[in-house]
Amino acid sequence: MKLTRRLAITLLGLLPLHAADLPTAESILDRYVAVTGGKAAYDGHRSEVVRGSIEIVAAGIKGTLVRYSSGGMSRMTMELPGIGAIDGGYRDGVGWQDSLLTGPRLVDGSELAESKKNATLHPEFRWRELYSKAETVAEETVNGEACYKIVMTAEGVSPESWFLSKDTGLIVKVATTTTSPQGTIAVDGIASDYKEFGGVRLPTKMISKLAGQEIVMTFDSFEYNTDIPTARFSLPEGVAALVKK
Amino acid sequence: MRVITLLAAALCMTMQAQDLNLASFEQVWNTIRETHWQERPGGLDWPAIRAEYRPRVIAARSTDEARTVIQEMLSRLGQTHFGIMGGAAALDLGEVGNANATSPGSAVTGMEIRVLGSEIVVTSVEPASPAALVGVRPGWVVRRIGDRSLQLNAIAQLPEYVVTHAVESRLSGPLGSALAIEFDTGSDTASGKLTLTLNLAPGRGVLASFGNLPPTRVAYESRRLPDNIAYVRLNVFLDLPRVIPAFDKSIRDCAPCAGVILDLRGNPGGIAGMASSMAGFLFREMTPELGTMHTRDAQLKFAINPRANAFTGPVAVLIDGGSASTSEILAGGLQDLGRARIFGTRSAAAALPSIITRLPNGDLFQYAIAHYVSRSGKELEGSGVTPDEEVKLTRVGLLAGHDAVLEAAQNWIRSKQ
Repeated sequence: MKLTRRLAITLLGLLPLHAADLPTAESILDRYVAVTGGKAAYDGHRSEVVRGSIEIVAAGIKGTLVRYSSGGMSRMTMELPGIGAIDGGYRDGVGWQDSLLTGPRLVDGSELAESKKNATLHPEFRWRELYSKAETVAEETVNGEACYKIVMTAEGVSPESWFLSKDTGLIVKVATTTTSPQGTIAVDGIASDYKEFGGVRLPTKMISKLAGQEIVMTFDSFEYNTDIPTARFSLPEGVAALVKK
Repeated sequence: MRVITLLAAALCMTMQAQDLNLASFEQVWNTIRETHWQERPGGLDWPAIRAEYRPRVIAARSTDEARTVIQEMLSRLGQTHFGIMGGAAALDLGEVGNANATSPGSAVTGMEIRVLGSEIVVTSVEPASPAALVGVRPGWVVRRIGDRSLQLNAIAQLPEYVVTHAVESRLSGPLGSALAIEFDTGSDTASGKLTLTLNLAPGRGVLASFGNLPPTRVAYESRRLPDNIAYVRLNVFLDLPRVIPAFDKSIRDCAPCAGVILDLRGNPGGIAGMASSMAGFLFREMTPELGTMHTRDAQLKFAINPRANAFTGPVAVLIDGGSASTSEILAGGLQDLGRARIFGTRSAAAALPSIITRLPNGDLFQYAIAHYVSRSGKELEGSGVTPDEEVKLTRVGLLAGHDAVLEAAQNWIRSKQ
């Protein structure tokens, strides 16, 4: 019986994946850019300020978030009642985090690579710069919506699976694993409620599931090309001290 | 006609309450089915459990009755951190199924109590508190609160932290209300019985909220003991924005001190991440995690991020049967890492990371989302943290003004100099 099962698994591995029948990742991602605003609209963005809320639904905890991005630098601050500020960012090759929970911390390895990638404005548009490989691997249904599944591979970080609606062309789900001192954790994010900001349609709601918990991020506004003072990206005192070490 | 309308309205409300109770039951059952770390929660046939309890919730004639049925279902899991809080929580010893069925009142007596043997004994009295004002002393035994005597057989049967919390709830109430308490003072005169009336006052600490948790008073105490020993006490792991900076300051101020004593006796837990956060102030170099929580599909380490100003001298942690959850994660992890010596009595053995959510009928539902394994590989749930030096408080010692656990920790730190 065991031998039969092993043989079946081996045979399964030999079956063609039919990848050739699927549209290329490039064509699916180009369509995404087109349906969300087009190359010119994305190209016109030099800086971004995102404001919204973050909620750990089951625990009844809701706070605010703000994220600044410009020139390959980023900073995101979440304020949660009873927890305080959770701060993080990336600039000049330094990725960092700071909060009362952890204290100041420099990130390295895949965390640093992830921070650098996330500091890029509109990674979905600039995927050719950020990912070494994009491959359509399957058709799957996400919340009743037929999707193409694309595996995005970037150097130093875990592969990501992007699910784009066959109907609308929009990204409806991103599945990946994220690495931190707490370990490597699978994260599934459902993107929805697309709205237009600065000529680009963006998801204003992201429901993430990790370790059995549901975290809802709602984005109220995306502002583009506002002047963000460089000081906004300065390293906090405790982090700067770690860099000097 | 008016009566019929009234009856119809009453019936409508009852049906609505029934629907809400059933929806609450379904939410509880589904939550455990989806989030419990075991495929068969508690080793039970969970669909069969639903079939058994759902009709009883439907048949319940009141929300209290439905709550009791749901609580009974949860108790079948045989695990801590599963419970329902709501309505007039059952406060009588013997009726309390878990510590969370009680909620602190807005005002208290200012005395701390612990279970010593089969007695409820006053272990400390807050200066200028209602208890101090009428002369209550450590070592006195609480015999009766209001018109209710404490059932000694129930005290012996229930876990220490459950009894402690239930009694603490009975020792709390509305601000300014009077509470008659009968004590056994241990005096040789007459029977030694004394009944005192205490006018309840706000407890020490700051009222803090966190998510769905009821507002809780968070008391952080930091002082210097003789021989340059720092003493830090925390009653619950909440109010992180105030407590962590205060702990940071205590540690900074301690740069030249002989040792640190962290008193977690009676601390029932709180925000689990605070264990990692506070541990960071006791390590200067990268170190392994305190332990790992295991959900059904993930493992999360309680990682420690070393702090620049960390204290590297001797650390003693005081625990007892009232030290639960986050207290056990911190004490157990520091013990496993060889960073602290633990004094007192075995902890509550209730160390499951949990979440508190609101049910459709308004009750609060606490459920564990993971099981927890300390750094050494030991599961703290059901076994707790065993002190390196077991020291028990005694009534005689308390009456003589001694805290034997604290003194043992002080002696150990002195021995390290």
